[in-house]
Amino acid sequence: MNILIIEDEARIARRLQRMTADFFGNKPTQITICDSLQKGLEHIADHVPDLLLLDLNLNGDNGFQVLEQMVAAAFHTIIVSANTDKAINAFAYGVLDFVPKPFDQDRLFQALTRFVNPSVKPDAGIKYLTVKTAGQVRLISITEVIYIKGAGIYTELHLKNGQQELHDKSLGLLQQLLPDGFERIHKSYLVNLQQAEKIVINPGTRYGLLLKTGEVLPVGRSKYKDLKNKAI
Amino acid sequence: MHNLLFLFTLLGWLVVPVIRNDDPSPLYHTGDDPAWAAKNYKDNSWSQTRGNTADKVFWSRTHLDLRQVENELLPLGLQIESFGAFEVYWDGVLIGKNGRVLENGKPELPGTESSYYRIPDSLITPGLHTVAMRTSQFSHPGMQRSISFKIEEYTALLTRPLITMSYMNLMAGAFLTASVYYFFLYLNSRRRQRDILIFGTICLLFFTLLIMEYLKFHVIIPYSDFFIRLEIIGWLTFANALLVPWYFIIQFNFRRGAWLMAALLLTLLLLYGLNYGHYDLTARLYSLAMLITSFIVVLNGIIQKEKGGFIVLAGLLVSTLVNKLVVYDYGLFISFTVIVLCMLYLHSIRASVIEAEHQNAVLLSSRLQLELLKKNIQPHFLRNTLTSMMDWVEESPKEGARFIQALASEFDIMNEISEMTLIPIGKELELCRQHLSVMGFRKEINYIWEQTFIDETQLIPPAIIHTLLENGITHSAPLAGNTIKFILRYSISKEIHQYVFETIAENRQVLTDRAGGNGFKYIRARLTESYRQNWTFDSHATETGWTSTIQILR
Repeated sequence: MNILIIEDEARIARRLQRMTADFFGNKPTQITICDSLQKGLEHIADHVPDLLLLDLNLNGDNGFQVLEQMVAAAFHTIIVSANTDKAINAFAYGVLDFVPKPFDQDRLFQALTRFVNPSVKPDAGIKYLTVKTAGQVRLISITEVIYIKGAGIYTELHLKNGQQELHDKSLGLLQQLLPDGFERIHKSYLVNLQQAEKIVINPGTRYGLLLKTGEVLPVGRSKYKDLKNKAI
Repeated sequence: MHNLLFLFTLLGWLVVPVIRNDDPSPLYHTGDDPAWAAKNYKDNSWSQTRGNTADKVFWSRTHLDLRQVENELLPLGLQIESFGAFEVYWDGVLIGKNGRVLENGKPELPGTESSYYRIPDSLITPGLHTVAMRTSQFSHPGMQRSISFKIEEYTALLTRPLITMSYMNLMAGAFLTASVYYFFLYLNSRRRQRDILIFGTICLLFFTLLIMEYLKFHVIIPYSDFFIRLEIIGWLTFANALLVPWYFIIQFNFRRGAWLMAALLLTLLLLYGLNYGHYDLTARLYSLAMLITSFIVVLNGIIQKEKGGFIVLAGLLVSTLVNKLVVYDYGLFISFTVIVLCMLYLHSIRASVIEAEHQNAVLLSSRLQLELLKKNIQPHFLRNTLTSMMDWVEESPKEGARFIQALASEFDIMNEISEMTLIPIGKELELCRQHLSVMGFRKEINYIWEQTFIDETQLIPPAIIHTLLENGITHSAPLAGNTIKFILRYSISKEIHQYVFETIAENRQVLTDRAGGNGFKYIRARLTESYRQNWTFDSHATETGWTSTIQILR
């Protein structure tokens, strides 16, 4: 487990490090501290972490511009910040949690629990998925997404306008961030149920989900019951 | 009021004159003989000019051709405008005296320039009549002033000028009140604005001008002193012709004001010299010069986009028109009044601008006060401090207590200085040291503070060094040994106080657009608040870190 802490206040960084280490206990965990955005970005370029703990306001730098890049990356981000008024915004961008300063161990543990337990969803809704194309960061409203297909370590976002975008996060991580309206119907498919028409049964008891676009996606055997219960 | 005056003027023209012959001119003869009063005395040999009569008595005879007069015009009055002391005979009948004619042994009692006589009803018939005057003109004996006659209904002749005067006095009262008000305003204002003084003076001069113009109805002025009043009126007009453009020069920020004023002064003096003795003409030329100069200033003001330019231009145009169209006696005053109204309007604009400036200054001060207080409660400072504090308390309660103590001290000083605009530098440095102590607990960097040649009694705006220190802490990474050093140097010379604040550290690279710059804005606003334009502020990176220099002019 690789965890990166970007925090310019030495005392607070060490507090985060100590508590995180306590949380993971005897699991092998590597925790790195960077005291500036610059150093943090350099570190990420070399070692992609599993989790990032990020302060939004560092040395006068505005962390929000960097946040867009972070949420587009393959790992989850938890914000630890004094700017509590930015929380809603941060959630909209797709952070896993927002821990307001000052924090105690309980609050930080709550955030870290969210990281290790995918069934716990964030407090406030995500509004955008952030994708990187040719170095540019773009925001895509989640209402534009019809379904998401897992493709190795990446995912493909299939959009209403017919286009497809690649996202660095895995299907599992995205499922964790996206609201309940997105259903995992197959190990490789996450579908926006508002875009689904009906379940179809193909010969050989293979199930499929017919979308409003006319496309049919495979439904996993184990997922069929769940899906059927959510009367479409 | 102007309309009424205008109406009176028109009425004066519309009434058909009782005297039919235009410009009846008198014939003169030096000597003294009661027979010369007779209506039908043969005066063919008399002279058209009087010559210098010195201390001799002389007679004048003037033939007036009367029209048929309606009954309602009776009784008729005769107004004579003439110098000297005289007895007036209407067709040989003595109808009145003005002063006492010089006689053997008895000195002359001078009459007044304008005098009124009632003509006996029985002697009013259409046709020629003779006004014979037995006169002496001991003062100004060589002065050739013609005699003018006016015949009208007797009471109207006496009261009409008084009615005009009552309106003029109304105007004069307004100007007197305005002048007193503006003088008080000048004396009681801290800023002692010159334009207010000028405006008050213009109002007072104008009041005096109006009073002087109608003085003859209050005081009987002997003809020998006739010119003193005209001379005074001339100089009052002269002064106003100077002051009015001067006022506009100030209000419209005319750049070469001194040159224009010099040219105007020269012109006015020239006009005075060239037309000496022609009082009415001189006054007219004065006001013409004043109008032209004002036009130059106002047009320039319009080009410079000064407030109120068009209104004043309109006022000047109206004033010029009135001056041209209306009979001189009123015209000058009405046009002057229009100009003074323009000035009053300008003044009100100026006053509202000053009021707005004052409000802004007050607003700025309270905004800066708020900004100072916010420094310690803004979430980034407070929440980070509290988080560190939590950690210290959990790890080492003793150190935690010291941390809390340091924060409390910083709050105390902030609270103490928050409502001041200037504080002793000693207080400011104490604030900085407490802040460093708090930040030391948070950042766990070894902060070093140095100060040299500080004169603890000097005053500076609150929290400006503190703001520089905050910037230094935020944007610097420690050097080897985990240290950052701050140095404050003070120096003083003949012209300036100088504070140089230096941060010796490694400057952090900036990744994103700075949301900042607010710190510098605060410093500049505070310096402006206390020193207006008399300061400079410079801040730049150096090889060893960062240097900021504040210079305050002495």
